[in-house]
Amino acid sequence: MSEKGASAGKTVRKLHELGFTHALMIPDSESRLLYEALENDPKIDLITPCREGESVAIAAGLWTGGLKPLLVIQNTGLMEAGDSLRGCGVGPRVPLRMMVGWRGYGGATAGKLPIDSAYTYTEPLLQAWRIPTWRLMSDDDLGTLELMDHTAAETSYPAVVITGYGFKP
Amino acid sequence: MIERMELFRVVAERRTDEIVVMTMTATLQWPLVSESDLDFDFLAFGMGHAADFGLGLAIARPERKTIVWKGDGGMLMSLGSLVTLARYAPENLVVFLLENRSYEMVGGQELPPRADFVELALASGFAGGGATSKGKVERIDSLEAFQDALPRILTEAGPHFIVLPVTNREKLPPVNHSDHSGRIQTLRKALNVSE
Repeated sequence: MSEKGASAGKTVRKLHELGFTHALMIPDSESRLLYEALENDPKIDLITPCREGESVAIAAGLWTGGLKPLLVIQNTGLMEAGDSLRGCGVGPRVPLRMMVGWRGYGGATAGKLPIDSAYTYTEPLLQAWRIPTWRLMSDDDLGTLELMDHTAAETSYPAVVITGYGFKP
Repeated sequence: MIERMELFRVVAERRTDEIVVMTMTATLQWPLVSESDLDFDFLAFGMGHAADFGLGLAIARPERKTIVWKGDGGMLMSLGSLVTLARYAPENLVVFLLENRSYEMVGGQELPPRADFVELALASGFAGGGATSKGKVERIDSLEAFQDALPRILTEAGPHFIVLPVTNREKLPPVNHSDHSGRIQTLRKALNVSE
C-alpha cells in the first residue's frame, strides 16, 4: 500500500491519458496540489468558477458542445451544487466526470471528534442520486479514474471518484 | 422599456446559425418566434445557471455565437457567475439580461429595487474582460436602439453582457417540461457532436 493520497503529477498524467480537455475546480485544502499541477498544464484548461453550481452547468455546456470536462469539487461544494447537478447531470443524463474531495475523511477514520458532517453525508448523498463512486486513496487507485470515465460514458450518467486523503506532490 | 415579444421577433429575424439558450419566461415566448434545433430550453436545468451553461457551449463552439436569454431574478441566484464570465467568457458569447425587475414566472414579486445589473457587471470586470479582454457591457432602453445595435452585437467580438429593460403584455403560454435528456441530445445532434 502506497502512502496516503495520490500523486498530483501522476493524477494529471492519467487525466491526459483519458483525454480531458478542461478541469473545473475551486481551490480547497484537499485538492491544492492538484490545482497547482493543473494551473499551467498545457493540455487541460483550468476554469475556476466562483461556486460549484456554476462549475456543473459550465461542464454540462462544454460536454454538450463536444468537449470533455472534469469536475473537481470538495464534498461541501457537491452539496451546494445539488440543484445544478440534478438539473444538468442526473436529470438529463449528462455523463459528468467528477472527482469529489472527501473533507473530514482523515479525521473521522482516525477517530477524531467531532465528526465533520461533510464527511458523514458525502457517500449517502451520492448513493441517493444513484451516482456510482470509487475511492482514490493512493497511487494504487489511479485506475479508478479510468473506471469512472468509462462508466460515465457507457451509462450516460454522472460518475464520481472520491479522494479521501487529498494529493501529495 | 421594450416589449419582450417585439424584442424576440427582432432577434429571430436576424438570427442565422447562433445557439440560443433560454430560461424561465423566455422558454415560453421565444418558441413562438423560433423553431430551431439550435434553440436550447434550459428550464429546470439548474436555477440561475443558464449563462454558465452558455459559457461552456461558447467555449466548446467558437465557430458560432452563443446567445443566452436570461432573467434578472435568475441573475441574482448566481451573481458569482458574472465574475466567472468576466474572466473566461470567449468572444462569441452574448448574454441578454431581460430586466423586468420581478420574478415574473412565479407571480411577479419585486426584485431588490436598488440592484443595478450594469454596475454589477462592470464591478465584476466584464467590460474589457472575458478570455480575450474584449468584454462589453451595455444597457439598451428602446426597441429602436436595439434594432440599430443588433447587427453589431451579432458580428463584433465580445463577450457581450446587455441589459434590456422589458415589459410583457402577452399572455404567457403554459409551461411544458419536455424531456431533458432529449433537449441535450437534440442540440448535440444539431452541432454534429457524438460521444
